[in-house]
Formats: sequence, structure tokens, C-alpha cells
Amino acid sequence: MQKVHRHPGIVRLSHWLVACSGILLLFSGFGQMPMYKRYNIIKIPGLSWSGDFEITLLIHYLAAVVFTAAIAFHLVYHFRRKEFGIVPRKGDLRESVQGFLAMAGLASEPQHEKFQAKQRVIYAIIGSASLLLVITGLVKSYKNLGAIVLDPMLLQLIAFTHTIVGVLFMMLFIAHVAALLLKSHRPLIPSMFSGKVDSDYARQHHPNWHIDEKHKR
Amino acid sequence: MKVNRRTFITGGAAAGALTFLPTVPVEAAPSDSSYATLIDLGKCDGCAGQPAPLCAASCREGRKDSFPEPPKSQLRDYWPQKKHEDWSTKRHLHDRFTPYNWIFVQQVEVEGRTISIPRRCMHCDNPPCTKLCPFGVNHKTAEGPVYIDESLCFGGAKCRTVCPWSVPQRQAGVGIYTLWQKYLPVGGGVMFKCDLCRDRLKKDETPLCIEACPKNAMQIGKRQEMYTRARELREKYDGDIYGMDENGGTSTLYVSPVSFEKIDQALAEQAQEGKRKKIVRMNKPENMLDKQKSWAYLTMISPLLGIAAAIGLSWKTEKEDE
Repeated sequence: MQKVHRHPGIVRLSHWLVACSGILLLFSGFGQMPMYKRYNIIKIPGLSWSGDFEITLLIHYLAAVVFTAAIAFHLVYHFRRKEFGIVPRKGDLRESVQGFLAMAGLASEPQHEKFQAKQRVIYAIIGSASLLLVITGLVKSYKNLGAIVLDPMLLQLIAFTHTIVGVLFMMLFIAHVAALLLKSHRPLIPSMFSGKVDSDYARQHHPNWHIDEKHKR
Repeated sequence: MKVNRRTFITGGAAAGALTFLPTVPVEAAPSDSSYATLIDLGKCDGCAGQPAPLCAASCREGRKDSFPEPPKSQLRDYWPQKKHEDWSTKRHLHDRFTPYNWIFVQQVEVEGRTISIPRRCMHCDNPPCTKLCPFGVNHKTAEGPVYIDESLCFGGAKCRTVCPWSVPQRQAGVGIYTLWQKYLPVGGGVMFKCDLCRDRLKKDETPLCIEACPKNAMQIGKRQEMYTRARELREKYDGDIYGMDENGGTSTLYVSPVSFEKIDQALAEQAQEGKRKKIVRMNKPENMLDKQKSWAYLTMISPLLGIAAAIGLSWKTEKEDE
């Protein structure tokens, strides 16, 4: 079967760096909320360390380095290459609704380019949440550097935003992974590893994606 | 990957940043005009002859309106745990921190003399309790005091775990979590501790414990002045200071005629004899945030690492495309 190159290696690498560090950030972040002792996670064999705030803070810092660097890389790399295919545009919200209705069999599938309108909208939502987490997280790192006294109300807003958006990020993350369980999305799973999708799938689901000949393999 | 001058410089800069920047010390000191306190253990005798030390009694009486009054109906176990922390029936306890006992006096025999040590929140310079509160409701003020916003705290008790002296204490059945605890097992009460009578400080009044001390063993003043006096007193006693470096520095300075190492040892022995598991020590705790400062710093430069890699790689692929 003919394959189409959908995701270059650099995109796949940055996606997986964000995904893996994101999982670590979620696990260590929830560990920073004093949950694991109370809800007996520390009693699960092999997870007794999860109640130690020093360990979860260290994991959070290390994963944050990868997450933040990968996001900064993503933004600057694609900006410099003028690759804006996943940036939402006018009419995307309306088309997303049609897309979701089509998933339920209630409307006809809109004609997509490389990215569907709903993918662009979801990208914007997850991207905004990630950016908020990065910005608030950087302020939180800064105040941990020493006897730095910032306005308590500002810190409260930052901490609250970081925690609440962290919970939102987890829900988006779960929804993102759950979407792959849908039959129509399953052919996309191998593309996150190999970078390639079946050309039949691309023609059917992304008819307006103008694929260069060099991308056909 | 072909290495050329540009990618070499970009990569070199990133590697240089990684090896050099995390070792750069980042320090900020509390303002010299913030408050600090000095506790002279050469003077404190634990109010011998009194039914209770006057500092503790004065705090209990003067701050009673701030103490929790949990309705019985709100005292529920912390699901799935089969327990909750209720100190409202143990208000009489005066030898440890509780939500009703924000200051107490330890007494130990060291080198043939009785040392009395008033214990309360140290109001640290870089307080892990404040910095690590997930909802940011534990505050460090520029004036020095560290306080907990009782109206927003819902008692996760992380502040107690990360405090080297376990100062904040939890009372179940009060606070914002009572709005949802029936439906959602999240939260456990409110954390309580000394706030250095910050409302009195705002009115230029002295904290109650300091005002009540009959021996003038406690003083409060501008940080610079208290630090200078503490050093002078140490000279005079040929003694020791506690609180200047502990947990990364605090705004509470104890000065003693005997070393704090010996005091801590005596406290540990006393606890062993009394079969007490937990004691408030006078050891030398390292600030847990300071221990991981390099990693915090690395997170701060991580956007630069990503940007450097993006510029280098996009330039390289651009050249290849050409």
C-alpha cells in the first residue's frame, strides 16, 4: 500500500518529548498536591517513593526542562520555517462542530487539508494550556531560587492557575489519547511512530491536502 | 549531522549554558527593614513558678478568636483513611504545636543548667511551606511574617511535611473544604500556626508573646538590627546562634550560652526517655528548595535551549532544502 509522509522526524521527536515529559509532569505534579499518601498510592508496590515531595519535585523540574525546551523548539522551529498549517483560522470552530457531528454520523465529513479544523482547534486549546503551564511554572521555579519575596497575591494567582490548568491539561491529554481509540482515527497511530499514513486514508480524510510528490513513498 | 560553524556555535552555547548556568548562585535576601526576632535563651526561664509560660498563655488568650471551632457534624474521616485530625478536644496540650497552641516552651537539661526554649514558627526567608503550597494560600510577606490564609486553605498538610519543625498543624471540620467534603473527599481542614501577630505589627504593636515576656527574653525589630544584636550576644555568652542559616535562613534568631548541637542532643535524649516519637528539634535542616536550586535554574533556561536548537536545526534544514 502506498504511504504518504505526514510527520517529519523532528516533529515526531518533539511530539514524543512533550508527551513523555507531560506524563511525568502530570504524575509528579499530582504528587506535589499531597494526594499519594492520602489516597494510598504509596502503598502500591514500587510507588512508595511517590509520597516524597523532594523526589516528585526533582522529577517535576527535570521533566519541565524537556517539556519547556520542546515547546520553545516547536514554536520557533515552525515559525522560522513558516509552517502554520495547524494554526486555527477563521471558520474552524463551525467546521469543528461539523467534524464532531460527522464522527457521530450526524453530518457529512468536511473537506480537510493536512490538518482538520477540529485538530487545529484542539491544538490551540492544548497549546494554550501548555503555554500557561510553562509561564506559570517558570515563575514558580524563579521564586524557588532563594529568599525571593514576590507579591503573595500574584503568587497565589500563579499557583492556582498552574494547578487548575494542570488538571485541565490532564483531561485534554486523556481526551487526546481516547480519540485514538475511535476507529476512524486508528490509522493515524502508526504515523506517530513511522511518520507515514496510508495514501488511501489521506485521500479519504484529507482530500484538500496537497501532497508533494516527494512526500509519497 | 554535518557540523558547521553556525551549528557548532549554537550547540556550544547550549552546552555551555547547561554546564555553567546551573552553578550560578541566585540569592536574594529579605529586606533589611523587614522584621526579625531575637530569643535570648540566657534569659528565658520558662516562667518558673507560673502555671504556664506567659508567652504561650498570652498567645492562647489573645489569639483565641483565630482558633478553629469545628461543628461535630463536619468532623469526618479523610476517605479512604480511617482517621481525621481533631485537636479541638485536646486544647489543653501545651507541649507541642497544635491548631490551638502556636507557641510552647521546651525545657532540657544541658551541662547542668535548665535551658528553656520558646518554640514557634521561624518565619523562614525561603519557606518551603509557602513556596510549595499547591494553591498558593500560604504567604511570605515582605515584612517577614509567614501566614496561612485560613479562608482558602483546605488542609492538605503538605506545609507541615516540608517544614523541618512541623509547625503548621491541621484541624479537621473547618474551612472551605466543608463545602464539598460530603460529596468529594478532597481536603482535610485548615492549617494553623503563628503569624507573628501580623495584624498587630501593621499597627506598630508588638506580638503578644514578646509583649508578655517578663524577662525581656524576646525582642522584635528590624532585621539588620536583630542580626547585629544576636551576634553581639553570642560574643557576650561565647555561645551559639540558631536560625541564621538553618533551613536557608530565618527571621527568628535564638542565642544560647550553650551550643545548639548539645541542646538538640538533649532534646533527642529527652524524647527517647519519654518515649515520644516526634520532637521539635534544634538540628541543622537544609532547605529542600535550596538543595534543588540548580534544577530550578535549569528549568528557567530551558526555553533558551529549545530556541537555540530550533534556530540551529531550522537553519540546517533550510540549507538542505536549498
